[in-house]
Amino acid sequence: MDTGRPRLSLEELHLLRWLLGGVLMLLSIATVFYMDVGSEVMTVLAMAGVLVALARPALPARIPVWAHRLAFPAILMFFLGDLWHEGQLLPAVVRLDILLLLYRGVSHRARRDDLQIVVLGLFLIVVAGVLTVSLLFAAQILVFTACALGLLMVVTITASAEGGQAPKLAVRGVVPGWAAHADWGHLARRLRQVAEWRLVASALALFVGVVALSGLLFLAIPRFQLENSLFLERFVPRKAMTGFSDSIKFGDISEIIEDNGVAFDVDLSDPAQAPATPYWRMVVLDEYRNGGFKLSSPMRSPDIMGKERTASYYIPTLRGVPGAPTWTFYLESGVSRYLPLLGRFVVLRFRDAQNFRYSPYLGLMALRDEPATMTAYRVEGMAPDTPGLADSLFAARWRNREVRRGVPLQLELDLPFAPDKATLAGLTADIGARGLDAAAFAQKANAWLQRLHGYSLSPRIPPGPGDPLVRWMASREPGHCELFAGAFVLAARSAGFPARVVTGFKGGTWNAYSGNYTVRNSDAHAWAEIWDARRGAWLRDDPLAPVVSEALEKKGDAALAALMDRSWSARLNSIRVFWYRRIVNFDQQSQVDTIRAVKAATDSSGKWLRAAVAGAASRVKAWFAGPWNLERAGRVAAVAAAAGALLWALLTGRIRLAALVASRKADPVRREAGHWLRRLEGPPPLIADLQRLRFGHSGTWPRPADVFRRARRAPPSSRRVPGGASRSTS
Amino acid sequence: MSEFLQSERVGEAKATVERLRANMRRVIVGKDDVIDRLLICLAAAGHMLIEDLPGVGKTTLAYALARSTDCQFSRIQFTSDLLPSDVTGVAIYDESTREFVFKPGPVFSNIVLADEINRAPPKTQSALLEVMDRAKVTVDGEAHAVGSPFMVFATQNPIDYEGTFPLPESQMDRFLMRLRMGYPQHRDEIEILRTSRSGYDSMQIGAVASRAQVAAVQGLVCQVFVEESILDYILRIVAATRTETEFKAGASVRGGIALRTAAQARALVNGRDFVLPDDVAELVAPVLAHRLALSRQTGDALEERRAVGAHLKRILSALPPPT
Repeated sequence: MDTGRPRLSLEELHLLRWLLGGVLMLLSIATVFYMDVGSEVMTVLAMAGVLVALARPALPARIPVWAHRLAFPAILMFFLGDLWHEGQLLPAVVRLDILLLLYRGVSHRARRDDLQIVVLGLFLIVVAGVLTVSLLFAAQILVFTACALGLLMVVTITASAEGGQAPKLAVRGVVPGWAAHADWGHLARRLRQVAEWRLVASALALFVGVVALSGLLFLAIPRFQLENSLFLERFVPRKAMTGFSDSIKFGDISEIIEDNGVAFDVDLSDPAQAPATPYWRMVVLDEYRNGGFKLSSPMRSPDIMGKERTASYYIPTLRGVPGAPTWTFYLESGVSRYLPLLGRFVVLRFRDAQNFRYSPYLGLMALRDEPATMTAYRVEGMAPDTPGLADSLFAARWRNREVRRGVPLQLELDLPFAPDKATLAGLTADIGARGLDAAAFAQKANAWLQRLHGYSLSPRIPPGPGDPLVRWMASREPGHCELFAGAFVLAARSAGFPARVVTGFKGGTWNAYSGNYTVRNSDAHAWAEIWDARRGAWLRDDPLAPVVSEALEKKGDAALAALMDRSWSARLNSIRVFWYRRIVNFDQQSQVDTIRAVKAATDSSGKWLRAAVAGAASRVKAWFAGPWNLERAGRVAAVAAAAGALLWALLTGRIRLAALVASRKADPVRREAGHWLRRLEGPPPLIADLQRLRFGHSGTWPRPADVFRRARRAPPSSRRVPGGASRSTS
Repeated sequence: MSEFLQSERVGEAKATVERLRANMRRVIVGKDDVIDRLLICLAAAGHMLIEDLPGVGKTTLAYALARSTDCQFSRIQFTSDLLPSDVTGVAIYDESTREFVFKPGPVFSNIVLADEINRAPPKTQSALLEVMDRAKVTVDGEAHAVGSPFMVFATQNPIDYEGTFPLPESQMDRFLMRLRMGYPQHRDEIEILRTSRSGYDSMQIGAVASRAQVAAVQGLVCQVFVEESILDYILRIVAATRTETEFKAGASVRGGIALRTAAQARALVNGRDFVLPDDVAELVAPVLAHRLALSRQTGDALEERRAVGAHLKRILSALPPPT
């Protein structure tokens, strides 16, 4: 649309392009001052060169054509020499970049050259940013971005003004019109004239706004796993889905939807020690009140749950097994503040210091807050607690039947409706607990529960008065893990066995691509623990699991084979795990190793080049040191002269490589005729025949041999004088 | 038919052109190079645009060519009120036959002088597009062939642009060459002053070649052999105009074809059945210059033509011819 506003002419656009490109190069080269690469003198010279060419756009046309021809070979030679001499790759690449920018800065640029300087400049800016990590870098990248955007816009407008033609190459040695008439004052006046200030102000405001918003987001969002930090999903109404819960409430159960989202991934240092069915313990629910289980407040006390600490690692007093494998957990956000564990361990490490509490008696690790991002922690020397979680504190109290400071013995039924206890006692009598130990009771109770109830994610609790869990136990309704575990605990307590519900995750799959456990929300599970006084430990009992003796349970590779997942979701999840493995770092050692490896590679590349050149030099030296005679000296002189002549011919354009290639393809008669045409000026009949051989139809050729014989016999006076005027062919 | 030209036919063509050249030199004094290029244009069956000041012999040149080749000559004075039908002809109702009968316009001739073509509005200029391309005029859906040989000989004044309509690029592209007459040398002008009478009707010049002979020469041009390296040379020149920053747009594909045809015609006119690099180099400016415009605007048309010529010369000197 033609707005009728004045516009910059093509020449003015070219001048603006030159200005922006120069500023961009100066900005980029200036960053080298912040790098410790020992290139201060080169940087100053390069900036001076670019500055002078920027101020006087006509100057680059004075650079002779041979200098342009030599520029890139010379820069390449400099780079190789630099690499050889210094033996450092990065400084050599930085200096190479400076030289390339300098060359682009002091020669007239086509459009592709402008794009090249953006890339070259970006490289310097980014390298400087990575090496220095300072606020100055942020400022520089902002100015660079604005300049680069401006340059690209002007390049595009120029292209459009030129009618969208293909990139035009600047002709060497010729001052373009825009450079010949460059007038910075005029350009400034024209810019003021054509600028739509409201638009400029809007663009500036938009730029500042976007930068400010980006800065705020940068400050507000934790530094990794952006997707885990997005809080918008929390505004979406949630449905009852499978997943971990740190309390259980019966009676308001509705249908639960399977949620196959990943809860956590686990790397295992020694897959041979993989358990068949890992039970990832997270929280113990010991108090049953008002138809629900939760962790009682005495259990949350520092005596049991431990004092809050702030540390990046934790070594418990009750150690795990030293030879046990190391497990690295990547717990997704929104799962829980309780960390999944298999049992006791030797040491637990976080990436950064965390506020946490650990209870060796309960085997629980709880963070102060539920993390908003993925939480990674490494647990060394952890083996599953089999046959149970030893608890010396509870063992002593159980022996003495001591109720200290209100800490429960986990026999409390807390059934407010009196008939419930009688109902429960009747049901327990059905199990036949008399005279049994905890393990035997558990076995019989499991069998009893499985006989009466099936499994369903859509359970139904019969209506009526009293406790909902007792009502469900008395019915034949199917139920899910929480109902089974809760029923088992009530039955055990009614029979006089301390028992509690444990919630966490069970099982998971073994990702065939990334080689790790993947545990999903649908693997959330509840089971029970019953006190085995004889062993002094809490025995795990899963009323829903089939009874399999420990000896028959698969372990290691066989266990993993049973859990193997080769689905597409596993393939996708493996990418996430690979990423976690890259970004999660517990002790900076891998980062140090990487830096050392890069430095070693850099050093060795320089050493290799140096050794190669030194070897070649010594061979040349040995060759020169060999015995010399007249014939050898003559041969060397001839080769040197030929090489010199060839170089001279190439540099002066007397031989064009492209022409050599083309002539090699041409007909030999035409090639020979062309050769003679370049050397002879007469006589006219001979020239006409040679022209016919060179450019005529082969069907009209005279005998080539005769023509070439005449050419060879042509008198010296007909020979062309080098550099003489061309012959008329009309 | 042989796939290359027989030397006898080349000789005949050369002889025809030589006769025309000699005949025209008798009446057009001191403009041998213009006559040569005009004959090349005629051999290539192209159209000619001549730019120069009034009174330097443009019309005389066209008339001399028509008379020398025994061709019918017509002249159209382009003005701002000229209508397309004034050029191409019109279908009129014939009472006696009760039918529309086509009445041919002045374009139905062999040599058509379009005098001051840029004074006509674009609609009328465009009326020439079809006839220059196909040598036919379509009126009421019926195509009418114009004379053979057919050549449009357009003139325009590069200085006086007041009240003119610059020819569109599509129209310019259809002219094979653009030439300038220029003032004659002093001694030539003395000779003109001594011998010439006013008005070209009084010109004493007879036909030295028949229309059939001219058509035969034109038929031979396309058979002149062009070696691969020459084609590559032409293409390199055309490509260089496309990458030259000083030009608004490079030469078109039609421009490249025109350069090849003109070079073939020059070879034939000079008695050769193959093209030399010089044939191409000599014709780059007259064939390509009018198809190119400077990327920066200049207020002066003459200055623009000089600049375009200089840039073409520079391009040509930077591109080594095949050897």
